[in-house]
Amino acid sequence: MNIVACVKQVPDTEALIKVKPDGSGIDEGGIKWVMNPYDEYGVEEALRLKEAKGGEVTIVSVGPARAMETIRTALAMGAEKGVHVSDPLLDNTDAYTTAAALAAVIKGLNPDIIFCGQRAIDDDSGQVGSILAAILGIPQVTIVTKLEMADGKIKAIKPIEGAQLVIESTLPCVITTQKGLNEPRYASLPGIMKAKKKPVDVKNAAALGIATEPKAKVAKMTPPPDRAPGKIIAGDDPAAKAAELVRLLREEAKVI
Amino acid sequence: MAKKFMSMRNLHFLLYEVFDTASLAKYPFFSDHGKETFDMVLETGMKMGRDILYPALAEMDRNQPVFEKGTVRVHPVVETVVKECGGGGWIGAHASYELGGQQIPNTIMTAFRGIFAAANYSASVYPFLTSGAAHLIASFGSKELIDTYIPRMFSGQWQGTMALTEPQAGSSLTDLTTTATPTDKGYYLMKGQKIFISCADYDCVENVVNLMLARIEGAPAGIRGISLFVVPKMRPDEKGKLVANDLNCVSIYHKLGYRGAPITQLALGENGDCRGWLVGQPHKGIRHMFQMMNEARIEVGMGAAAIASAAYYASLEYTMERPQGRKITSKNPEEPQIPIIEHADVKRMLLFQRAVVEGSLSLIFQCAIYADLVNVTDGEEKETNELLLEILTPIAKSYPSEMGILSVSQGLQCLGGYGYCDEFPLEQYYRDVRIHPIHEGTTGMQGMDLLGRKVVMKNGKAFMLFLGEAEKTIAGAGSIDELKSCAEALTTALERLKEVTGALTGLAVKGDIEVFLADATLYLEMFGITAIAWQWLIQGITAHHALAKLPAAQDALFYKGKLATCRYFFEYELPKTQGLATRLMRSGDGLTVKMEKEWFGD
Repeated sequence: MNIVACVKQVPDTEALIKVKPDGSGIDEGGIKWVMNPYDEYGVEEALRLKEAKGGEVTIVSVGPARAMETIRTALAMGAEKGVHVSDPLLDNTDAYTTAAALAAVIKGLNPDIIFCGQRAIDDDSGQVGSILAAILGIPQVTIVTKLEMADGKIKAIKPIEGAQLVIESTLPCVITTQKGLNEPRYASLPGIMKAKKKPVDVKNAAALGIATEPKAKVAKMTPPPDRAPGKIIAGDDPAAKAAELVRLLREEAKVI
Repeated sequence: MAKKFMSMRNLHFLLYEVFDTASLAKYPFFSDHGKETFDMVLETGMKMGRDILYPALAEMDRNQPVFEKGTVRVHPVVETVVKECGGGGWIGAHASYELGGQQIPNTIMTAFRGIFAAANYSASVYPFLTSGAAHLIASFGSKELIDTYIPRMFSGQWQGTMALTEPQAGSSLTDLTTTATPTDKGYYLMKGQKIFISCADYDCVENVVNLMLARIEGAPAGIRGISLFVVPKMRPDEKGKLVANDLNCVSIYHKLGYRGAPITQLALGENGDCRGWLVGQPHKGIRHMFQMMNEARIEVGMGAAAIASAAYYASLEYTMERPQGRKITSKNPEEPQIPIIEHADVKRMLLFQRAVVEGSLSLIFQCAIYADLVNVTDGEEKETNELLLEILTPIAKSYPSEMGILSVSQGLQCLGGYGYCDEFPLEQYYRDVRIHPIHEGTTGMQGMDLLGRKVVMKNGKAFMLFLGEAEKTIAGAGSIDELKSCAEALTTALERLKEVTGALTGLAVKGDIEVFLADATLYLEMFGITAIAWQWLIQGITAHHALAKLPAAQDALFYKGKLATCRYFFEYELPKTQGLATRLMRSGDGLTVKMEKEWFGD
């Protein structure tokens, strides 16, 4: 099987995020970068599929030079090769352009199945997998927590409010992966040693022939507002204090 | 629970900026490696520590191993840790390619193990005890032993241990009585008892391989009659099937801390059928065992520094959040309270912890680098590295162990009453860290090793080499204004150490050996503080140069913190050597030697 797993490098969930003073994005100084946790499920599922059915796993990532570390991590987990779309014109680009870049790479790979995390934990847009499927003109199953493959088809489970859907799809297709699908493995030491020698193609936008002008732009990024200070209701009479609390909840906070 | 237990930023600082481990790649043995590999190794270690070990920290403390039906039931996470470490190649990581390892430098694996130890010390000992035991077989064992044991130990299928202590022979190995009777079948029949053997029996491992000291029947008395054996719990028969080897766990001890790892009492040869295989030469057991012992001592230092690191970060996080009191200059009780980290005395407690933790880590990596260089250099260069490693090993073991207790205690103190309660991990760290001055040679033994053996060996050559290294660092600090006073203080401290060393060895020359060694522990303490000051000066110089390059804001804060902690060490810790020197210069009075035991009666 020819399997593709898309990965994005994102700030560690434990990193302290600071917004740049001009609101153009986050201050990247001192941030530790990791593989998007939802993409890890995709890489793991790709490796399990390969181990069960044979074939190879290609890792594709769009991101600045440092994203190579994340591709190497996936190679250390056991993927065979990588493609790194690295171009300053694509730094912090939108979901459409990212998907277009991925599609341009993946078309040439002719895969049976493509994995993407259901969203990235940095911008939380959750669109790339779906746009990618649309550009490639293939089916998609999103937010998958269980996957089986038989007779050239997949059967996927997707939880919805109060129930779960069992979805069948033909191949090739895009699967976006959700927590619960599997437990991603750790890179092994022999895997780390081999990863250095595995091939990674580096391509820029021109080589892929894609437009770099994003369709959507982040106009401004602001940190969440500071929480307003609490209010202490003074007085000695509990009944009066309770009445005042109800009044404030109704008239000021407008929550009851 | 606190988010951080070991700082990756500080590991990078020490491993890459202070010690330049990436340059080890210039030696053929390490030529396949570089910073990229090391980064991935450390990241994987941190991930495993964070995901697997750290969440089980308190559980393993509260659910101690249980001895039932002849075996020891341990926390289920042990199986995961051993399996992941075996499957991931981490147990044999440092070994040569021929043995199935990946030739990762000891320095990097020391950091990896330190991450594990900080996450959960008890859980970390299982895989890495096996590393040490396997290394011993690889160094001195026959090809047959290597082929039989190493692959299964590296894969995590079989646990390794070191089995030295007996009920009547703890620090005094001379008195051990476990016997090995030769047979004509290539093995020995073992008989005796061992106690305090970590991880020598538990339920989720296929086999246990004990590296055991015993006396071959008829061997000379004393240390020169002791040999080293492989004594497995289950032995492979002719067809490779495992059969019981008449080696049984008869009980386990319940400990103050470090409760997730069982320490066992073993009975050997109760039915006359416990087989052992000689490792190395007969009667050279102690010498062979000391290879593992020396590695284990540095590992113990790392264990202590790692627990102190976890305690430091837990207390740091708490002091940032806990509001209590107002600035001493504030008279207005209506003003909001301030986080306790703003109080000078709390900052002092945090600085003390950081000074101990990061000073200890620095010395441990310094030793780890020497150990790596011993493996890849020859001739005089090799000897220099060997001697520096030898003289610093008792310090790298004892300083973190003894000071780690005080460091964790200050962490606990930062939390006040909460620190004393089990809702926070500090009380567990305080109990866990207490083992380190005891196992792998007590602090008293380390003191005697340093003063009685290491300082005087080869006419003081190792001592002179240490002084030379420290003087090189002082020279490097000479032109830096902000470190000038530290450099001068270290010069004075080295002079003081020379003077004390001269006075003490003078007692030895007079033949008064008992008096010479009576205050060896104090000497070790004084030497330890001086050696850590040297390491802090190295870190200060590195931080100074890094700051001069105008780094990113976050990095600048880190380097400023380093420089402040360096100054703290020189102002608050190094002066303690004066008091120690005062006593040591008068050690000739033999005060403790002359104290009669009857005078303790009351």
